[in-house]
Amino acid sequence: MSPKEAIYTRHGGKGGDRGKMLAEIMNAEGKPEVLDDILVLDVSSANFAGIVCASLLAEFGAEVIKIEPSGGDPARQITPFGVTVQGVGIPFMFEGRNKRYMTLDVKNSAEDRKTFARLAAKAAVVIESFLPGEMDAWGIGYRQLSAANPGLVYVALSAYGQYTDKARESARIPDTDVTSQAGSGLPAQMGAPPEDPEPLNWPLRGGMWAGWYISGLSAAFGATIALLHRQNTGEGQMVDVAGMDAYSSMVGMPATIGFTWEKARPRIGVLDFILYPYGHWKCKDGFVAIAAPRDHDFRALLKILGLWEQEDDWRYSSDRIPDILEQALHLHKIIEEKTILYTADELVKMALNYSRKSARSKWRGGGVPIVMKLMTPEEAMSNKQWEVRKAFQEVEDEKLGKFIISANFVKMSESPPRVKWVSSEVGRDNDFVRKKYLSD
Amino acid sequence: MEDYFSYTAQLFNPDEAHSKPEALKGIRVLDFSHVIFGPIAARLLADYGAEVIKLELPFYGDLWRPATYWGKYWKHSNPIWHNITKNKYFISVNLQLKESKELIYKMAEKADVVIENFAPGTADAWNIGYEKISKINPNIIFLSCSTYGQFGPMRYFPGWDLLAQGASGVLTLNGYPDTDIYYKLPDYVGDFVPGNFASLAVLMALYHRKKTGKGQYIDMAQTEGLMRMLYHYTYFSLTKEAIGRTGNTDPTMMPASIFKTADDKFLALACATAQQFENFTQAIGMPELASDPRFSETLERLKPDNAQALTKIAKDWIQSKSCTDILKLAGEKGFPAAEVADDYMIANEEWRRKRGSVVLFNDDVYGKLLIAGPSAQLSKTPSRTKWLARPLGYHNRLVLKKFLDLCEADIQDLERKKVIGTFDDRPGLKPPVYYNLNEDPIYNYGKEVKK
Repeated sequence: MSPKEAIYTRHGGKGGDRGKMLAEIMNAEGKPEVLDDILVLDVSSANFAGIVCASLLAEFGAEVIKIEPSGGDPARQITPFGVTVQGVGIPFMFEGRNKRYMTLDVKNSAEDRKTFARLAAKAAVVIESFLPGEMDAWGIGYRQLSAANPGLVYVALSAYGQYTDKARESARIPDTDVTSQAGSGLPAQMGAPPEDPEPLNWPLRGGMWAGWYISGLSAAFGATIALLHRQNTGEGQMVDVAGMDAYSSMVGMPATIGFTWEKARPRIGVLDFILYPYGHWKCKDGFVAIAAPRDHDFRALLKILGLWEQEDDWRYSSDRIPDILEQALHLHKIIEEKTILYTADELVKMALNYSRKSARSKWRGGGVPIVMKLMTPEEAMSNKQWEVRKAFQEVEDEKLGKFIISANFVKMSESPPRVKWVSSEVGRDNDFVRKKYLSD
Repeated sequence: MEDYFSYTAQLFNPDEAHSKPEALKGIRVLDFSHVIFGPIAARLLADYGAEVIKLELPFYGDLWRPATYWGKYWKHSNPIWHNITKNKYFISVNLQLKESKELIYKMAEKADVVIENFAPGTADAWNIGYEKISKINPNIIFLSCSTYGQFGPMRYFPGWDLLAQGASGVLTLNGYPDTDIYYKLPDYVGDFVPGNFASLAVLMALYHRKKTGKGQYIDMAQTEGLMRMLYHYTYFSLTKEAIGRTGNTDPTMMPASIFKTADDKFLALACATAQQFENFTQAIGMPELASDPRFSETLERLKPDNAQALTKIAKDWIQSKSCTDILKLAGEKGFPAAEVADDYMIANEEWRRKRGSVVLFNDDVYGKLLIAGPSAQLSKTPSRTKWLARPLGYHNRLVLKKFLDLCEADIQDLERKKVIGTFDDRPGLKPPVYYNLNEDPIYNYGKEVKK
């Protein structure tokens, strides 16, 4: 183990070999794919939660057929600032993983619905995001498809779900990311405190598709539970994902705190409700993220920054939490006055040096203040860690050329997910699908 | 034909959920994990019927047990902890002793899944890592969770949700352009989302094991989980430009932002398609916008100048209407809109309880607590809550007697040697003061209980 690798390893491990061995066994090449016997039809429309769900199943080896009208899924035009490559939006390219593309207009063509039903008879999973009840009215909903194919797992995505009176009343309200975020409680917890000027003190949306990605991931999770049940019993079922549940059901805090506190939490800006220090500070050349929330981590941070005279005032985590916001902001400033004196690299080094000594000393109490340079997505792409782990992959679309995606989101020794190809052309695989699934 | 919503009401009837089959029944999970990232992966399995045995250190327990919002406890427990660790068996074993390891190895023989999130390398150093457990049980599915992964130059760096948000770039996307303030995503979502990815990987491994008989090792890095959610990398690789912060406006559809209504409520409104936009222009009484050359084509509408002009039009209209009126129009005309929901609304809106999005659960130890329902509702094998979190070491007897066939004398011997233990007096670890554990048949499993 090199001295650099020894950093933070209180328990040593068996040294550098473990990393090397793992890198080798996590190689995806030539490994089996989990879902290689699963056919998925993604007929979702203008909804990335559906597309993401389909992508995740495709990455685990399912044959995924994206079904869209000849004009293409409107999701193709959901893209930042209207930027496209030959009319295909960036998020659609990013999610175009291991998929087949077939043109069928299930919304308008009775003939195409019949073709769709024939495909669905052979499918294990159908993913759709039309308004609740639409597919059913067209004769290709869960009720009809499951009669012909009892093993079918039918994933329906919508804003308010497929049942309850509220879902019926709100059936015409489509699902999007920002409405999903808002309706499920994320923006209410983000943004500047009430005393700050408008609109900074408004609820703030997450700057990425937190709603759609949570719904998509939840849909894939629900579908996989259903596939396990199907593997055991042959039975399919319906999976109902509502955008208005996304954030609140994922984290659980809004319901429980709304109930036990009998009121909503206020927005507390850059602070955290439980942990302090747990955030980011300005430094000489940008920003650093610092997490030193446990009492011994916090003391270590004070020592590193030369702030030991403050120790007595902020000794316990209950002194540092922002239930008295002014007080917490005061401490925030005290720390910032010091971090601004150093560069990010200097601060990282100071924390590492302390932690290494602390790990070996019984007098330092094992404090591990964690400091890192705050990175933009663009900066993250050039981090050596992700190069070694193949977290970013250069892919080539036969029509649209080369680009980079984040892939291989989990490493598995036997049946890892992988991106085999990307594609996006409307109707690209019409012949392939007809020949393989519709020739009888 | 029966009306669709009556049909689905039958299909998903929440009152029947508890009598439906469990998809993961018979799957046994050893959960060594702590805080949120690992525990949530294990809890998701427990929600669908897996038997999850959570191991903690006696008198110390999971670091997150006492960590509650603003230090506010509920019945001497951490209210949010109930969401993170419900449905599990809580056993408290001192990992440093040889006897404890033997207990763990015995449990590992009969386990299907092991989950840990110590700093990488620690589990192996303690001889409870994949290397050791896979020798005892070759078909084990072993999930290791960490911030940066089990290999690569940053592997030994410890981390929290914050660091994963910082390392993936997620943190720098939240906030307003041209300010020097970023916001982290709240409520440790950087633990919860990767925890769901990790649990998905375990499900895939279970599926694979059923087909092939083979277990495997899973290395889930929470930063990579967050990175899977950003198309920003692709945008940068194609345009050489960063998307950066865009405040409340989603630059991918237009209009799409959070606005303030005439009655001072906050409302998100978005139009993802040409059809939704047309519906919106009719709702605001400006149908001419749908044929305005700046707005008629979706991609034109997204160009920054046009987007700004349209956001202004939407903002002015929303400012002149009440939140209720706008939502009513959204339902009639068909465009996406939602009021910004806060904790109180989510806890109290009637429809969420009817749907099972939130569940008022009546627990044997704690009584009634409102907890979140599942992110996906399943018609035949739904997620369910069987019990909330329990005091440290609550299931010691049950687990050791039922699953390892130990007798009362064995257990008392283990207690004497401090191999197993329970809670001390700290909130988060102990039971509510009003609760008499001596009368609890599960805590005293297999012993005479005096009533």
